[in-house]
Amino acid sequence: MTTAKLRPRSPDVQIYKPQLTSVLSIVHRMTGVFLSLGSVLLVAWLVAVVDGGDTYAMVERWLRSWIGLLLLLGWTFALFYHLCNGIRHLAWDLDFGFELRSIYLSGWTVVAASMILTVLTWTLGLAVLE
Amino acid sequence: MLIKSSKQVSRWRTPKRFPVSRNSGASPASRIEPGVSWPEPEGATRVQRFKVYRHDPESGKNPRIDTYAIDRDKCGPMLLDALIKIKNEIDPTLTFRRSCREGVCGSCAMNIDGTNWLACIRSLDEISEPSTVYPLNNMDVIKDLVGDQTHVLAQYQSITPWLRSKTPAPAGHERLQSPEERKRLDGDYECILCFCCTAGCPSHWWNGDRFLGPAILLQAHRWLVDSRDEATGERLDELEDPFKLYRCHTILNCTRTCPKGLNPGKKIAEIKLMIQQRRS
Repeated sequence: MTTAKLRPRSPDVQIYKPQLTSVLSIVHRMTGVFLSLGSVLLVAWLVAVVDGGDTYAMVERWLRSWIGLLLLLGWTFALFYHLCNGIRHLAWDLDFGFELRSIYLSGWTVVAASMILTVLTWTLGLAVLE
Repeated sequence: MLIKSSKQVSRWRTPKRFPVSRNSGASPASRIEPGVSWPEPEGATRVQRFKVYRHDPESGKNPRIDTYAIDRDKCGPMLLDALIKIKNEIDPTLTFRRSCREGVCGSCAMNIDGTNWLACIRSLDEISEPSTVYPLNNMDVIKDLVGDQTHVLAQYQSITPWLRSKTPAPAGHERLQSPEERKRLDGDYECILCFCCTAGCPSHWWNGDRFLGPAILLQAHRWLVDSRDEATGERLDELEDPFKLYRCHTILNCTRTCPKGLNPGKKIAEIKLMIQQRRS
């Protein structure tokens, strides 16, 4: 059995083909982590609102810079993606939607829905800002 | 694209891999090195190339990728035919498991073009040019395409895959089932333990030491729903564990890859539901 220790381990993530199943799963995790970071920003914004004046102006200026807007866009998408895919997971927990066709159909629906909701939110948001 | 059956090969040839380097996280002995290209057949009009994972335990060297080429016009229709042709005519040291050559034994399960399937039922018309052939993922490699299944089979044994009953067997006949009771085993009993699903499960890659993986949990489900088994409660107790069962995050690579068209992901969700429902 001493030779068993020297055996190479066959590759897994290095060679396995990305599929809708695995890609949506890892994106669900990444958006979850990204959203937790965003909640810190939300708290910072609320603190700025309470503090008012210069603090608020500074946070507002930063959020309206291109990097701030880009991050907000990212957080909007992350929120909608995590929400939609979360509903998909809840259905699975109740034993619904496990046929391969349903898995792919609901997966693509989540992708489309989160994009549409992001675009809608920004169209509305930018219209209000005008 | 929309996938309706695990048989379907995705028309999307890219992306082939996740954006990680080919040897990232590999132990020094597991690092894959470039191999050799074997001579191409002469006068062939339809050449099919294969990049095959090779490892010779007696050489003391690292695994490598060898490239073989065959003449499609002088080869059978399936990938297994091509591997046998390579072994017979080009390189007799190429090692792989095979037996039934019709998708009922599960021996020739391997990673073909990045997903797991049985070589004997993967048509050469469905593979890329060149095609990649690796052993099942995340296993200690004994030689070439032969992975060590000791660990997954030990996990199989751990779920006691046999009838557990307290009542004595009826005299004169077997323990009987109604057709409805027998029907509950459909979708479970067809599993051939090829381990395509377990080897393709990211959760099993990261936590395979304790997470049982889709193949074994599907087998666990098979005994949970068997009307003749009298240890359902004990079986659920044994599975109710943060690692054995709950490392399943419903990624569903298992259902996507099953060569028998079974649905391990659904069966695992049903086990989780059984545990919830007995609480209420």
